[in-house]
Amino acid sequence: MKTQVIGASTTKFGELWDVSPRTLAKEAVSSALKDAGIDMEHIQAVFVGNMLSGMLGGQEHLGAFFADEFGLRVPALKIEGACASGGLAVHTGVLAIESGQYDTVVVLGVEKMTDHSPEDVARALMGAGSEEERFSGATFPGLYAILARSHMDKYGTTEEQMASVAVKNHYHASLNPNAQFRSLLTVSQILKSSKIADPLKLLDCSPITDGASAVILSSDKKKMSKRSIGVLASSVATDSLGLSKRKSLTELLATQSASERAYQQAGVDAMDIDVAEVHDCFTIAEILAMEDLGFYKKGLAASAVVEGETTLGTQKRIAINPSGGLKGCGHPVGATGVKQIVEIVEQLRGAAGKRQVANANIGLAHNVGGSGATAVVHILGKL
Amino acid sequence: MISPVKIWRNQKKISSLRGSEGVIVSWTMIRVPPSGFSSQAPYPVALIQLNETRIVCQLVDWDPECLRVGQKVVLVIRRVIESPDDGVIPYGVKAKPV
Repeated sequence: MKTQVIGASTTKFGELWDVSPRTLAKEAVSSALKDAGIDMEHIQAVFVGNMLSGMLGGQEHLGAFFADEFGLRVPALKIEGACASGGLAVHTGVLAIESGQYDTVVVLGVEKMTDHSPEDVARALMGAGSEEERFSGATFPGLYAILARSHMDKYGTTEEQMASVAVKNHYHASLNPNAQFRSLLTVSQILKSSKIADPLKLLDCSPITDGASAVILSSDKKKMSKRSIGVLASSVATDSLGLSKRKSLTELLATQSASERAYQQAGVDAMDIDVAEVHDCFTIAEILAMEDLGFYKKGLAASAVVEGETTLGTQKRIAINPSGGLKGCGHPVGATGVKQIVEIVEQLRGAAGKRQVANANIGLAHNVGGSGATAVVHILGKL
Repeated sequence: MISPVKIWRNQKKISSLRGSEGVIVSWTMIRVPPSGFSSQAPYPVALIQLNETRIVCQLVDWDPECLRVGQKVVLVIRRVIESPDDGVIPYGVKAKPV
């Protein structure tokens, strides 16, 4: 592919009550432009990943909304795919560059969630599920709990093993100045935390978060530098919207097909990936992702997490979620998929500071929408 | 989310499901509900294998020992969500252990 990431930046993630979405977006985009060493006037199109601005904030039409904020009068659109909105926006930006229509675009992911009550956020997030699921009173923790119980039944996965995912991701987040949670967790704290949807407990769940992230994509050689990172693959797959039509409850087939196609596009396989940001909206989701992306055989991922095989410093073949993932860094749903790209770019540049993965040459970002109805996989590489 | 027209449109589907028998494939207990369900929480939600299809629905009239994979259930008509301001009562199916 000719597309490169020439600039990348993210705001702090967290409960940012004193900051509006427009301020978050401006901060992310202006620092991504600064990182790329270009000005706003070089941006030819704006792609916005966001899920909930309409349902929670009453504001739709985000393409024009943010272009206007940036003082731009260029093509601008919002891309929505539940929690995969950010990854889909990056995919759309890559397609826009590959089509030849634009040389340089910005992809913004943004979400403002903490202004609203947990019940209202839970209900709005259920917009990503099926009507049947909404009428059952299910929540997203509930749907992933159903997947977790099936995985536990089939592979003997335990609540302690799932808790190890959160322990690892909080450790990684403690090294990330932009993360929502900088505190360490223990397995027993997680097991003792209040139940949300059995067997998932509060500390198995990613939090409700505000934040924005932005990347500048370009095919213009004059704008590239040594710090530019190549997009080797950009792939999307879908599966049934709700759980009741899934062929399997112990794997996400959308993740499998999106990653198989991505590995083909990039000409690499799972064993070539040095660092990955995967979609750990719940602890069980990271275990599913490790298996469905081909890093581990089915049923073997959970024990690998416990052994520290994916933890910074003790990693065996691959480090997973060095940013802290959705669990530790936070999950502003529309921003997450873009933040994953920002993290992989920093890792491949060797600019990730205390959470730097040694010798990272090829990185993967994996973003999921709903309970697995959409999966987006990007592979990035040093040039 | 709820409108009288939508509820009317769904009547056929709901009545066709009534009386269907199935077994629990997987389940959870919702302790932090979405808005509209607060008065019912905590409540179990299960993925149920019917004859040829599957459905995600709430359990009703359950005992703790019914919460297990393989439990037989039958679908019954119940009020599913708190009434919106216009007073329409939204009915749907829930699964009752047998």
